[in-house]
Amino acid sequence: MSLLSLEAVTAGFGSNLVLHGVDLAVEPGEIVGIFGLNGAGKSVTMKVIAGVVPARSGRISLLGSDITNVGPEDRVARGMAHVPQGRQVFPGLTVEQNLRLGGYLLRKENRARYDELFDGMLERFPILTERRRQLAGTMSGGQQAALAVARALVSDPKLLLVDEPSAGLAPSVIAEVGHILRQVNELGVTVLMVEQNVTFGLGLVNRAVIMERGRVVYGGDVATLDEQRVGELLGVGRLLKSHVSATVSKRAARRPVGRTARRPAPKR
Amino acid sequence: MTGSTVGAARPSAALARLRPLVAGRRGDILLVTVAFVVLPPLTHHAMPRLLKGSDSLVIAQGVAMAAAALSLNLLLGYTGQISLGHAGLLGVGAFTSGILTGHHGLPMWVGMPAGAAVAAGVAFILGIPSLRLRGLYLAMATLAFGYAMEQSVFRFPVLTGGSAGVPLPRRTIGHHLLLDNAQFLALSLLVLLGLWLLDVNVCRTKVGRAFQAIRQDEAVAQAFGVDVTRYKLLAFTLSGAFAGLAGALYGHGIGFVNSETFGFQLSLVLVIIVVVGGAGTRGAVVAAALFFELFPLFIKALHGWDAIVGAMVLMFTIARHPGGLAGMARERAEHRRAREARRRAEAAGEEIEDAGKLPSFAIPTQPPRAKGVLLETSGLSVRFGGLQALDGASIRVPSGGIVGLIGPNGAGKSTLFNAVSGHVRASAGTVQFLGEDVSALPAHERARRGLARSFQLIGLAKELSVRENFLLAQHQLAPYSAGAALGYTPSVARVEASLDERAREAIAALGFERFTDTPVRNLSHGQQRIVEIGCLLATGPELLMLDEPSAGMSPAAAESLAERLRDLPDKLGRTVLLIEHNLPLVLGVCDYLYVLHLGSVLAEGKPDAVVRDDAVVRAYLGEAV
Amino acid sequence: MGRTVVVGIISGGIYGLMAVGLVLVYKGSRVLNFAQVEVGTLSLYAAWEVTTAHHMPWLAGAAAAVALAAVIGFLFERLVVRPMGDAPRMTVAVATVGLLTMMLALEARFFGPAPRLLRPPIAGLGVNIFGVFVSPSQWLSLGVVLVVGVGLAVFLRTTDFGLGVLAAAEDPTAVRLVGVRLSRVSTFVWVASTVLSAVAALLIEPTVGVIAPGALAGLFASGLAAALVGGLTSLSGAFVGGLVVGVAEAMVGRYIHSAAVPGVTALVVLVAILGVLLVRPAGLLGKAPA
Repeated sequence: MSLLSLEAVTAGFGSNLVLHGVDLAVEPGEIVGIFGLNGAGKSVTMKVIAGVVPARSGRISLLGSDITNVGPEDRVARGMAHVPQGRQVFPGLTVEQNLRLGGYLLRKENRARYDELFDGMLERFPILTERRRQLAGTMSGGQQAALAVARALVSDPKLLLVDEPSAGLAPSVIAEVGHILRQVNELGVTVLMVEQNVTFGLGLVNRAVIMERGRVVYGGDVATLDEQRVGELLGVGRLLKSHVSATVSKRAARRPVGRTARRPAPKR
Repeated sequence: MTGSTVGAARPSAALARLRPLVAGRRGDILLVTVAFVVLPPLTHHAMPRLLKGSDSLVIAQGVAMAAAALSLNLLLGYTGQISLGHAGLLGVGAFTSGILTGHHGLPMWVGMPAGAAVAAGVAFILGIPSLRLRGLYLAMATLAFGYAMEQSVFRFPVLTGGSAGVPLPRRTIGHHLLLDNAQFLALSLLVLLGLWLLDVNVCRTKVGRAFQAIRQDEAVAQAFGVDVTRYKLLAFTLSGAFAGLAGALYGHGIGFVNSETFGFQLSLVLVIIVVVGGAGTRGAVVAAALFFELFPLFIKALHGWDAIVGAMVLMFTIARHPGGLAGMARERAEHRRAREARRRAEAAGEEIEDAGKLPSFAIPTQPPRAKGVLLETSGLSVRFGGLQALDGASIRVPSGGIVGLIGPNGAGKSTLFNAVSGHVRASAGTVQFLGEDVSALPAHERARRGLARSFQLIGLAKELSVRENFLLAQHQLAPYSAGAALGYTPSVARVEASLDERAREAIAALGFERFTDTPVRNLSHGQQRIVEIGCLLATGPELLMLDEPSAGMSPAAAESLAERLRDLPDKLGRTVLLIEHNLPLVLGVCDYLYVLHLGSVLAEGKPDAVVRDDAVVRAYLGEAV
Repeated sequence: MGRTVVVGIISGGIYGLMAVGLVLVYKGSRVLNFAQVEVGTLSLYAAWEVTTAHHMPWLAGAAAAVALAAVIGFLFERLVVRPMGDAPRMTVAVATVGLLTMMLALEARFFGPAPRLLRPPIAGLGVNIFGVFVSPSQWLSLGVVLVVGVGLAVFLRTTDFGLGVLAAAEDPTAVRLVGVRLSRVSTFVWVASTVLSAVAALLIEPTVGVIAPGALAGLFASGLAAALVGGLTSLSGAFVGGLVVGVAEAMVGRYIHSAAVPGVTALVVLVAILGVLLVRPAGLLGKAPA
């Protein structure tokens, strides 16, 4: 059973229909990337999965249950967590308060588990320990990115939705964010992300899905993608063949990450 | 929406015959003359048989409230500027007239217009903050104004004789006082009629359309050449004049005013009347005012429950129908019309939805005249707070042909458009249009020089009909003054007729006759885009700037759009600057491309060369990390 | 001079409470509640009814006032604000005007226009500070304002739900994405603000002297000015704004006599409101817009 599936989902704003029948499935343990030119409907798809924009027709399921008409708060309760576009940390609250809000539901259900995860986040992101009582709005883009991911992870999610993680960040910070997302996935969290920067995205995900004009038009494991097709869909005229191959082979050659901060296993 | 176009269906033959007699200025003058002759003897003889003298007075007060409601409707309903202190303006009119008639012995027909004039002046001053404040902030400022007037200014001993107040005798000639309530009622009705007709004239000229545009979307209004500052101040001034007259009328009715007559509660009642009646519909607002004032007269037994019930009705009406009762009626009429139209179309086998075949935009309009380089930007930069949205962008658009502007998301394309059209202030650099440096000119001035632009979310006044949008788009082709508009002089009527004819021709050229009176928001996205481009062409602009015109269109429509875009330079001799994300469309249509990235021009040239450029490919695909 | 400042601070604290109520609703629903103060007046009538007509102690009256205010806030949010959903904020503001009119109509219907008097809770002699005579009522005001103000601040900053309320004001979408229900935030915000209004009305009543429909309109204007000084988005700013407006009014009132310039406090409030709106809409203490 897929972790998340969308079947023939349409959505839009007023007279403007943006999604014209999106079909998508995400299996447990994957990192899937949604790519496409502007106006293709990537962000709207994320918003529909989050529940912030209602689907006009079609079906969305999480772990087999139909969540098409379920509100965002309840989707979070069922194991979805978000790293929104632009991070959207709460600027007037401290780092610690942001994390507490991330665990809003978990703290009520299982306080001990929240405490474990909270400590784990502080350990994994030393920058957050350092700036624990600092207002989130005064931190740099990269630090906010770390906080946004930590805030999402502290709810113990099964599915992490990441909307354009590279937007507005310097290249070195983007690399670090990619690093974090890869680790998160290796610890067992399924990741679905939308990404504008194709180079970065293809280097990170194991499966890519390409949207055009409100539909998914192409997809597959990164290693098996037809570069020509990708170029036509995403690029400016003909894509330089070597560009995509270089990106993919770079990823394959990458050695596994060193010391991984292990996310503590849930106490049964 | 004007009262005269609400629910406009095909007039019956009888009405059609009647129309030339009563429409237009001649009809207005006839109406006023008849009223002037008929009303006084009518009220004098008939009223006393139907009503007590005191009841006439209450009705006259209701009429004054109706006049006050018309004044607030002009400001709030048409122009969208909230005023929570309108009683202050009424008071200015009343106190002015009172001082002139009560303290200085002048007649009413000097006092009342003077009241209108002074209130207009105060309203003008009140309008100045409105240029910078919107919505709730404007509400607060006007609230503070009304409060200060009630608590302070109206109590100045120098003006009012302390809180004792000011008498308003109904002086007509010399010492003769018009004490007959019935005749005063006749006078009130005449004044209301006069204001009503002025309001009609506002609505059927460019003044009313400019007001509506300002309410719905100021950026769009500016793009159509409307000087928003001037019209906002005009709205306040006119509203003030109406309010001053209404206040003076009210005051002369009761004969005496003090600071408590024109308090916060009165301002609130006016807002309630206008909103519940239906902001923007003159008839509903007048009816609501009369009802509000007169209803308690007939139901004396309710003893205070009527106010409670009235308040609940207000709250629940607003909750479900922000457009008020008139809005509710209008929506229902629209639904009915849309259903009928759909049924008729189905019966005739027509296709209703946007089939994908776009019209040819061959709208009869003046051909472009300029040659050479139409637009040139030099080092154009825009900074928003800490973000450099545009960084030294330099582009040139020569006449005849389509220049495309592409680039990844966040590259600054829309910002460039906004800086060129004047909707955003540039922090550095210049914009030259038709050889003139327009960098310091506001958006509506650039529009008047022949620079037309579209908007991503469709630059039209969506509540207005297709025909009204075409009239609005021709704003700069109506050179008459606001005063002439109020009087609806014969030359104004001629100009309006020619604008209307041109609008109908344009609508016919687009094949949209069946949508002539449909509010734009009821059309599909693609149809709205077509209307928008048609409106832009209506004034015969030198340069057309289109911001992602294919966004939201079906793939078939986007292909058809590509062909139509080529028509613009090839068949109609127009020049186009185009932003697009749809790369195949851009490659097929543009003669020259600029690629923007991170706010500056990354590459430029013929499309085939540009797309092969290494740097451009990297910009689109993203940097390696 | 010292007396003026102390008097200004005491009334300013009450303005602060009213302003905090206004800002809470503004942050939560993006709406200015024009009925804010009149709910307080109606609550005073309830207190009057309980203490005078039924001869119960002041505290019972106060409790009745607060309870009535809470009920009004809850019902208005549930029956009017929530169904309006995403309606334009001006429209919702007009709905609050409807609520204001209803309050006034209820007062007129059930109590008539004649003013009532509420016996103050504590009688007796006052204490001298800086040569200023502070009456027991004013002591009570100061105490209650501090307790309520600090209590609210603590609740918002330390409890999970309170953090949710603060976060919802900054970013309603992002806060849904962590599981906070906006409906509960909305209810809290409206009930809290009407309760604050009732408390402020109870505290300022001895100074105003009478309970009559619309008698506290000046409190609305001053509360609004205070909220604007704080920038309409900062709760602590609103409170400080209250103190600023209170002291300013007291000082102006001392040096400019009402006989010469009637309603001079109203003019001060007007100038303050217009000034803040035009010069720095973010308020003197709020955050500047991005």
